[in-house]
Amino acid sequence: MAHITINQYLQQVYEAIDNHEGSFCAELLSFKHPHVANPRLQLASPEEKCQQVLEVPYDEMVAAHLRCTYAVSNHDFVEAYKCQTLVVQYPFGISGDYFGYIFSSLPIPQPYPLAHYVLTVIVYSRAGIDDSKKWGMLFLINQLFKIYFKINKLHLCKPLIRAIDSSNLKDDYSMAQRVTYKYYVGRKAMFDSDYKPAEEYLSFSFQHCHRSSQRNKRMILIYLLPVKMLLGHMPNHQLLRKYDLMQFADVTKAVSEGNLLLLNEALAKHETFFIRCGIFLILEKLKIITYRNLFKKVYQLLKTHQLPLDAFLVALKMMQVEEVDIDEVQCILANLICEGHIKGYISHQHQKLVVSKANPFPLLSSSS
Amino acid sequence: MKAAAQSISSQGFPSSWGSFRVGGAVIAGQSPDRSDSAVLGAWLDQKVPQTVKQHWRTLYSISHSRRRGQPVERDWRQHHNQGVWREVQEERRQESIPRGVCLSMCPIRELQDREAQNLLHRFEVLSGTERERWPRADPSGVVKEYARPAAGKDSTRPSDLRPPAVLLKTVFYLVDNIAASPTLRPWTEVYDFVFDRLRSVRQDMIIQRVSGADCVAVLERTVRFLIYASYRLCGEPLRLYDPRINDTHLQESLSWLLECYTSGKHPNQEEFQALGLLYNLGSSRATQHTMELPERIRSSPVMHLALSVSRAFMERNPVRLLRLAHSLDFLQSCALHRHLETCRRDLLLIYSHGHSSKNCRFPLHKLAHILALDVPLTNQLCQAHGVEVHGNSVVFSKTSFTEPEAGKLQCAHFHDLVDRKQRDLTVGSIIHGCT
Repeated sequence: MAHITINQYLQQVYEAIDNHEGSFCAELLSFKHPHVANPRLQLASPEEKCQQVLEVPYDEMVAAHLRCTYAVSNHDFVEAYKCQTLVVQYPFGISGDYFGYIFSSLPIPQPYPLAHYVLTVIVYSRAGIDDSKKWGMLFLINQLFKIYFKINKLHLCKPLIRAIDSSNLKDDYSMAQRVTYKYYVGRKAMFDSDYKPAEEYLSFSFQHCHRSSQRNKRMILIYLLPVKMLLGHMPNHQLLRKYDLMQFADVTKAVSEGNLLLLNEALAKHETFFIRCGIFLILEKLKIITYRNLFKKVYQLLKTHQLPLDAFLVALKMMQVEEVDIDEVQCILANLICEGHIKGYISHQHQKLVVSKANPFPLLSSSS
Repeated sequence: MKAAAQSISSQGFPSSWGSFRVGGAVIAGQSPDRSDSAVLGAWLDQKVPQTVKQHWRTLYSISHSRRRGQPVERDWRQHHNQGVWREVQEERRQESIPRGVCLSMCPIRELQDREAQNLLHRFEVLSGTERERWPRADPSGVVKEYARPAAGKDSTRPSDLRPPAVLLKTVFYLVDNIAASPTLRPWTEVYDFVFDRLRSVRQDMIIQRVSGADCVAVLERTVRFLIYASYRLCGEPLRLYDPRINDTHLQESLSWLLECYTSGKHPNQEEFQALGLLYNLGSSRATQHTMELPERIRSSPVMHLALSVSRAFMERNPVRLLRLAHSLDFLQSCALHRHLETCRRDLLLIYSHGHSSKNCRFPLHKLAHILALDVPLTNQLCQAHGVEVHGNSVVFSKTSFTEPEAGKLQCAHFHDLVDRKQRDLTVGSIIHGCT
């Protein structure tokens, strides 16, 4: 493949088309195939040669592809992307997976806005034309998601999610694509504070991710864990050790014990890791759950339904929370009542929290 | 296609794209050539948006038209494609960034045009000639106005552009002689003038791709001015002041400024990171950005306070937030003030649920103290939210809390927390940052 002449290459393409060998044809137009390394095929103006051997529209497709190999050999990725996109804009009867195949080897160049623009042109030009191209849509959308998350412009994901949701093919794509898609959609939902749908998507991703892709499973878990913790489900140590996520161990322990001090320490210790993954802010939300657990302990210790506010103040001071006074204690308690984590009311005159006799601290999973 | 184009154009200034490097992938056994990538990267940084976009549009419209089969048209198309690409390579070699040479605040040409067409602003007119039919321009007072770029209009003529030093001088003039002037009234008109002329200054900076200390000095004053204005003009009728337009420009200038901070040392960085965080309280984007700042900036006292305020907001602890707000300085309070309404509403909501009991009473003066308001205003606020007040006690009930009717509560009436801090600060010192 790396030594054939341009004429031999064109002949192969011609035969592939003639014999309806879709997959071979796709290979000849893709970047994973060794033919791209062949300097004899890297031509700046191959149009004439292509016209001699192939018919319309294949001659232009192949000419564009050859110009692309030429561009890549000159590191002109701008032109390369442009040419390769030209290739896929022609109607063809090749199965959808190979559509993505054609792009899969081309690196996404660092100018993300450029790649985004190029890929968006393709995705939006896909809408409603013909089915064969729709198969490639999920692959491209996943690539776009990757870019958007990297450049931190998540609001651009919304139209793409809408496009897939309205498509009737969404359950027919390959599992790998669907796992990736749900992973990104789950992360977006997490960012928008929609924890129930986020949990659904990320759980699906985690369960259906292939057993051998440990790294991918770990990535999904990094986002699934905080969501589950916010809904009250703490992970066990085995799981954390298996996926090398011991950073969450202290956090988990602190939250379930209601230990604010340990929580603050744990967040500070692994701050860099959490910030880099973008989950630091969500983990801070666990503080509310920690308050709830701490106050539940106070209730269990005092064994009465009329709890003096002072007791909570003492508990918070023990946890070395700085500058907290009785007004703030009232506010925190009121917030917990408002969110449904405590059933009861505060009496300011008596400076007491009066809790309901039946189940004053409902389960977290029911009240979030 | 339209959506794609729109999402690109909304990404704003080329300078906000930062510096990109072309990824060198190992394709076909060749290793990337560093110097080529650097040159290409630099070129891409400046040229890619317009030219590639244009090129894409041409290409897309051509291939999509499906005028195939005619050999002549097909040839033309192929030649065109290649021709346009050659054009792009040409442009790449030319590297022309406009450099201004106009040494006055307004280019002579514009001054003469506007004088002749009687389009001078009240503040630009030579005193004594205001009532004449054709008022004369005061050369020390005319400032270049903002003009939308348009097809056929060349906005890159060097004689029309002001170099960075002159731009800074212009900003100083606008702040000291117009915004901080004790005599020019009404302030809405002062605001309009300064807002427009500052926009023109920013436009000149964009065209000349100014960066570094000059750019930072201009933007810092712009941001301070817009934040101060958002507070001072709060409550003015829409025809005189539109808070949304102010907000758009403030966000643009702020993100440009924060972008500038990523390279080099800037003494005021902490102040503006804090202002950005306070102004955008609750925005996960802004908070995430702050979390990614280096440790030494995040641990400075001003950032520490801003982060505490932000944390209190995220945890929905309005008592703590309002208490911390007392420690903010005047400009920070201006930045925060538009969130105070939400904050107080949250407090009433939380307390309505937490203290919900028919028999319990909450002292009104205590509530006033927590809300950082006086008693009559607290009363008014409670009524607007459906919270019952009996004498000097409040009866909270989760069922009676309601959202206030739109427009019923005027933020301007509740400005005391911010007002108190202005004391004897002058507008000039607020905008220049010498507090």
